Amino acid sequence: MRAGPLSVRARLTFWHAAVLTLIVCAFAAGILLFVKARLYDELDARLQRELVTVERISREEPAELVDLAPHWGVLLFQVSEGGSVRYQTEGWEREGVARALRDGSRGSPATWTAPDGRRYRVQEMSGPSHHIAAAIDESPVRHTLWTLAVIVAAGIPFAVGLAIVGGYFLAGRLLLPVGAMADKAREITAESLGERLPVENPRDEFGRLASVFNDTLSRLHDSFERLRRFTADASHELRTPLTAMRSVGEVALQGAPDPAAYRDVIGSMLEEVDRLTRLIDSLLILTRADSGGIQLAREVVDLGALASNVADHLRVLAEEKHQNLSVQTATPAEALCDPAMLRLALMNLLHNAIKYTPGKGTIRVEVTANLPKEEAAIEVHDTGPGIPAVHRARIFERFYRVDQGRSSDSGGVGLGLAIARWAIEANGGRIELEADKGEGSLFRVVLPGPARGA
Amino acid sequence: MRILLVEDEKKVAKALREGLEAEHYEVSVASTGEEGFFLASRESFDLVLLDLMLPRRDGIDVLTTLRKRGVQTPIFLLTARDAVEDRVHGLDQGADDYLVKPFAFPELLARIRALLRRGRMDQILRLQHDDLEMDLVTRRVTRSAQPLELTAKEFDILEYLLRHWGRVISREMLARDVWHVTARVTPLDNVIDVTIARLRRKIDDPFEKKLLHTVRGVGFVLGGKHA
Repeated sequence: MRAGPLSVRARLTFWHAAVLTLIVCAFAAGILLFVKARLYDELDARLQRELVTVERISREEPAELVDLAPHWGVLLFQVSEGGSVRYQTEGWEREGVARALRDGSRGSPATWTAPDGRRYRVQEMSGPSHHIAAAIDESPVRHTLWTLAVIVAAGIPFAVGLAIVGGYFLAGRLLLPVGAMADKAREITAESLGERLPVENPRDEFGRLASVFNDTLSRLHDSFERLRRFTADASHELRTPLTAMRSVGEVALQGAPDPAAYRDVIGSMLEEVDRLTRLIDSLLILTRADSGGIQLAREVVDLGALASNVADHLRVLAEEKHQNLSVQTATPAEALCDPAMLRLALMNLLHNAIKYTPGKGTIRVEVTANLPKEEAAIEVHDTGPGIPAVHRARIFERFYRVDQGRSSDSGGVGLGLAIARWAIEANGGRIELEADKGEGSLFRVVLPGPARGA
Repeated sequence: MRILLVEDEKKVAKALREGLEAEHYEVSVASTGEEGFFLASRESFDLVLLDLMLPRRDGIDVLTTLRKRGVQTPIFLLTARDAVEDRVHGLDQGADDYLVKPFAFPELLARIRALLRRGRMDQILRLQHDDLEMDLVTRRVTRSAQPLELTAKEFDILEYLLRHWGRVISREMLARDVWHVTARVTPLDNVIDVTIARLRRKIDDPFEKKLLHTVRGVGFVLGGKHA
């Protein structure tokens, strides 16, 4: 479950924590700034109020100033008239606030740092005859702000830590289905393709992923199943001639040496060799077709001529069974395809039709063109027993037989229709099987016309 | 006639050697590509039978090197690969003919005869064996002076069999040379059997001596020692 240098869980946690830290820091800074502004506003308002009070008292009852001053504690002030100091608190001189006034006019409150490091908020006020300056110690405000900053600063790592732990845990919980899927997927092999991944919630992303994966597994399962069946069928078909050869040979060696009998045995073995060769050739064609290794030599083919030619090749077989084999070309039809492959397909179809149609039956090949759809079709109708509906879907599968019992006596190896279908589909066409009206079967080969095939 | 057989599979080499020697060819066998190349370039043969899949040095390599050195001996390829590209490739490299394994021995013999005969144009207008006569110009066939009515296909088969009088002809040879169908998976065997049976009805049934015989597991033969 490693993707890149870090696991998805760790990366989720990291980003989660990083974003959260950023937000918390910005939030804390905002709070600090806001509180600071509010505290200074209050301090300034208080300074203003004190200044007004001092001014009023110094104007109305100057004698009281001396008595009142100590009660105000933190407040330092100086009252001067016409350049000479009339009164100043004890701390005024001590803290050297007078220097703050020399730095410039203090019409509005401003912070001034005393030489000993204490900070004061200083403001001046000038009346018609007198001048008042007051300073207020900032320490309580600064202390409050500092405490707040410490609390926030201590809280942030804690919050971030919580975010990391919580995020890690949550990410783990979220990714739990992925882990389960991975564990399950690891267990699934070619032998257990029937198993499926757990789908916890089919509507969320992981659920959809699991469903998609399960669909893929189903398709894999099907193709493995087909392959398994194919391999089993192929080995059965390969083993049958081998068994025949072996037993014929062994029995012959046990008996008395008679040249005529030996000839017969060898001939019989050669027949089986022929069968094996044909089977392997067919398998080879299909295998190469599967891997796309066959190149098409496409050209414009006159379907009517090709159908007649194939029918002429096989006509002797129909004649032997007193069947009526006819080719009808209603409209001239052309298709763009590989003629050798189409011929092979048609040979197989027609051969089947003749084989399964009883004596005196009728086999009709119809060639038609569907000009609007740019298609041409060859239909092979027969009056044989037909193919039951249950077999129709699978009749083109390799080694599939309608009658499982008749494998060897009918001569073929059960690949004719599979080869026919492959040959048609490789040429961009399709092959269909219908129950013919009344009786028999109807195989229809549909091919792209010369214009569309290009 | 000397033939060099380059084949690494011992059983196959032995069978081919014995079969060819029975046909009075003188056969040398090489079991590796290296040895085959050495013999072919040093001694003179009338024909080289060359397997494509060989240990140490493959057949195509032997073929191209021989041709580069100007060795003109006809070369016949035996191959287990029947992909079209392989065949074309082999012929491009200067091979004269090829057969795909497994092949029928009679077919190999027929092809070898054809290769060795090549260059000598034989203008045959009449074929005759025993009391069977065929006029290739008028396409008339008679046996014991009685005219036989043959279809075009039956005539072609009979001509092919007459040309290979006394030799076994496989179904595959008939499929390719008479029906001109090359794909081995084409379902033509029944057609060949039926056509042969019909031909036999016409040329043999009315007569005492039978000429056309079936060799089980191999094919058919007209006349010869099987008669």
